[in-house]
Amino acid sequence: MVPYNRRMLTVQLLINALALGAAYALVALGFVLVLNAAGAVNFAHGDMVMLGGVAAVTMAAMLAGAGWRLPGVVLLPLVVMVAGLVGLGVAALGFWPLRDKPPSAMFVATIALAAVFEQSATAFFGPEPRTAPPVWDGAPLMIGGVALGRQPIALIIIAGLAIAGVYALLERTQAGRRFRAVAQDRDMARALGIRAVRLVVGAFVLAGGLAGLAGALLGHQFFVSAGQGPGYMLKAYIAAAVGGWGSVPGALLGALLIALFETLVSAVLSAVWAQALLYLALLAILLWRPQGLFGEVVGRRA
Amino acid sequence: MAIVVVAAVAWLATTGDSYAIRLATLAGTQALLVLGYQLVFGHAGALSLAQGALFGLGAYVAAMVSLQAPWGLSLTLPAAALAAMLVAAVVGAIVLRLETHYFALATLAVAQLIHLAAVNLETLTGGANGLPGVPAVTLAGVALGRGWPMLVLAWSLFAAAAWAVARVLAGLNGLALDLAREHPSAAQSVGIDVGALRFTAFVAGAGLAGLAGGLHAHVVGVVSPDVTDMPVMVGCLIATVIGGRRAVAGAALGAILLTHAPEWFRFLENRHLIAFGLLALAMVIVAPNGLADLLATARQRLWPPQPETSNAVLAPPAHIIRQAGALRVAHVGKAFGGVRALHDVSLSVAPGEAVGVIGPNGSGKTTLLNVVTGVLSADEGEVRLGTDSLQRKPAFAIARLGIARTFQQAELSADTTVLDAVATAAFARAPRPTRAVARAEARHWLMRVGIVDAAALRCGALPAGRRRLVEVARALMVRPCLLALDEPGAGLSRGERIELAQRLRTLHSSGTALLVVDHDIDFLAACVDRLICLERGRVIADGPLQTVRRDPQVRQAYFGRDDAAVDS
Repeated sequence: MVPYNRRMLTVQLLINALALGAAYALVALGFVLVLNAAGAVNFAHGDMVMLGGVAAVTMAAMLAGAGWRLPGVVLLPLVVMVAGLVGLGVAALGFWPLRDKPPSAMFVATIALAAVFEQSATAFFGPEPRTAPPVWDGAPLMIGGVALGRQPIALIIIAGLAIAGVYALLERTQAGRRFRAVAQDRDMARALGIRAVRLVVGAFVLAGGLAGLAGALLGHQFFVSAGQGPGYMLKAYIAAAVGGWGSVPGALLGALLIALFETLVSAVLSAVWAQALLYLALLAILLWRPQGLFGEVVGRRA
Repeated sequence: MAIVVVAAVAWLATTGDSYAIRLATLAGTQALLVLGYQLVFGHAGALSLAQGALFGLGAYVAAMVSLQAPWGLSLTLPAAALAAMLVAAVVGAIVLRLETHYFALATLAVAQLIHLAAVNLETLTGGANGLPGVPAVTLAGVALGRGWPMLVLAWSLFAAAAWAVARVLAGLNGLALDLAREHPSAAQSVGIDVGALRFTAFVAGAGLAGLAGGLHAHVVGVVSPDVTDMPVMVGCLIATVIGGRRAVAGAALGAILLTHAPEWFRFLENRHLIAFGLLALAMVIVAPNGLADLLATARQRLWPPQPETSNAVLAPPAHIIRQAGALRVAHVGKAFGGVRALHDVSLSVAPGEAVGVIGPNGSGKTTLLNVVTGVLSADEGEVRLGTDSLQRKPAFAIARLGIARTFQQAELSADTTVLDAVATAAFARAPRPTRAVARAEARHWLMRVGIVDAAALRCGALPAGRRRLVEVARALMVRPCLLALDEPGAGLSRGERIELAQRLRTLHSSGTALLVVDHDIDFLAACVDRLICLERGRVIADGPLQTVRRDPQVRQAYFGRDDAAVDS
């Protein structure tokens, strides 16, 4: 028999891991959508998460200054819109001028963009970490004798809805079908009359929105600071590699796995070990299963 | 060049306070770091994100040696470079074979591990406080003062390293790196060991990063975990992009800009880094080859370079055509997922024989060529050349045994001249000839295929048909005993095809065996003696040209009907 306290701790730990995983999944989803659409890594993706958090903190402060105290949920659509615009900016500067160049050009351009975003945030927002408003405020809920924080539960619900929405968009709509055609072969899709570049830009906007949402959701528990972008980008990158390059469900599963791994290893050993072991595990996976944990072995034909 | 250096020294000597001298010294260390990254990223094309962490590693090693082993004060810089090279060798051996995005991620993970170690291994690194009190450099037992001596040391080391790099890359080495970076399979096909080249560049680049880090530790006097963190890497990458990916002058330019930007953009206050990032972004978009390239172009406009005057032609000695045995393919099978591209394929090509392979689209012709040349490895069966088994041999090793090939889509670096594209293939030869000798022989092969008039043009400026001829000349530069051609006639006009067939016939008469894959039976009839027909991965006919042409199975497979129309 597991003692009562231990059971409670385990449930809380798992809920926290799930909440973190849901937020990582939002980050990874946008990362993979852009990866498929543009065929290249967006190194500034993590900074879009950070800017979402910055937007949430700034708007909450502005509204509070105007004497309005609104629940955090109300801010989310605004944050998503701002972050979507950031995504549009990344597409306009980091993708559009380089759309016919090799993928490494966009990689390098977005590294420069990431530096611009980070420095802008440091200059205008300040280097100190700040807390985003909670999405769902209040005392922990008691469910089955276990106290559960409202924020992680809200995070799981909102992220789940957003992911389901994106899935519906991809699978059920004409735009989604076109998008998948572009992801498979941009030149072919163009030849079929699909406005590929427009869809790729759309993917950037969607990725920005999702990243911003994740930033606002994570910003309460994990703070918002100008330098946190690369960390989030790395998580999404790892999720995409572990889940099989370009696979959307693989990346979502990868994000959940990373969060579970981080939460459990941090609880048992320490946060430092969680990071170090995550990188080592990543290197091991890249070596032994370069197609990712869930990817299929695909032979190349010349 | 000399004027610029003199002016900079004079300016520093007259107006320079100790801060300006220190900044100029740091620019020198950055220039070394960027020079190393040019090797990795610019020349080898490996998007490594570990260069910054290797710089930090060098800084820590130099600090630890000078603080804990006073006897080793003269060894701090070699130790720093060596440590970075060792780590890079281990990392490179493991991750260099990964594709671009995976390689970038893997090196990023390694960089993060190094940073974590710097922060958390407190007994070794002093943790977040770092290691203070690093003394100035000791050179041959004499302690150098900070200020001018360090400035001179940093820039002398850069000058020496830049001279060495420029010298090594001036000849065939640079051409081989260009081809390996832009068209790795083409590089392998002329015997270039792309993996070894990338590994060498990666480790050499790491050595310069470690050396730069060691110098940095001595200049600054304290090493903290910041030296292993992302901003060092991002700064290095941005400086490389702004200065230039490949020209050594670009390393100095980019590094000076990076270190002095905070000074020069001081009016922007803490926003100078934003401006610097935007500048880098603009460079990627507008001038991807950096400032050095812009300056070089401007100089060429003002003072046009003397055109290549040498027209030396050097025929290879006749006995050099290798006398290897027959190529034997025995019971080879190859599947892609559920698709069986080759099924129990057996064939042979005798020394000096000319064989054509024909078959409908998707019949396995190109796969057969890829298995023979080592681009793909067979799932079953065996491939031999004479007594050598080609099984599990990498493509470059097979090329060195004397099998050269061309590709369906000509794989040539657009910016390389035709002459140099062909000369590149001499890189893998032992002993390696000088570039002048290689060019002279390249001119010989260009004459043989009939395009010597294009020798000075850029490959990118040629139409598709002529590009394929450049590839044939490059393959011949390998001095092969067997030349494998993948649809050499595709995209050529009828007249060009007839001319190419005649030239191949002439080459064949001088002893080179041919294995030609094509659709056009008339083209093949003009250059081969024997025909093999593939259908859905199986050999359905193999014999003298006329026999195979009349084979009812071949007609059925290839023309969809069995009538006499083929002969007319």
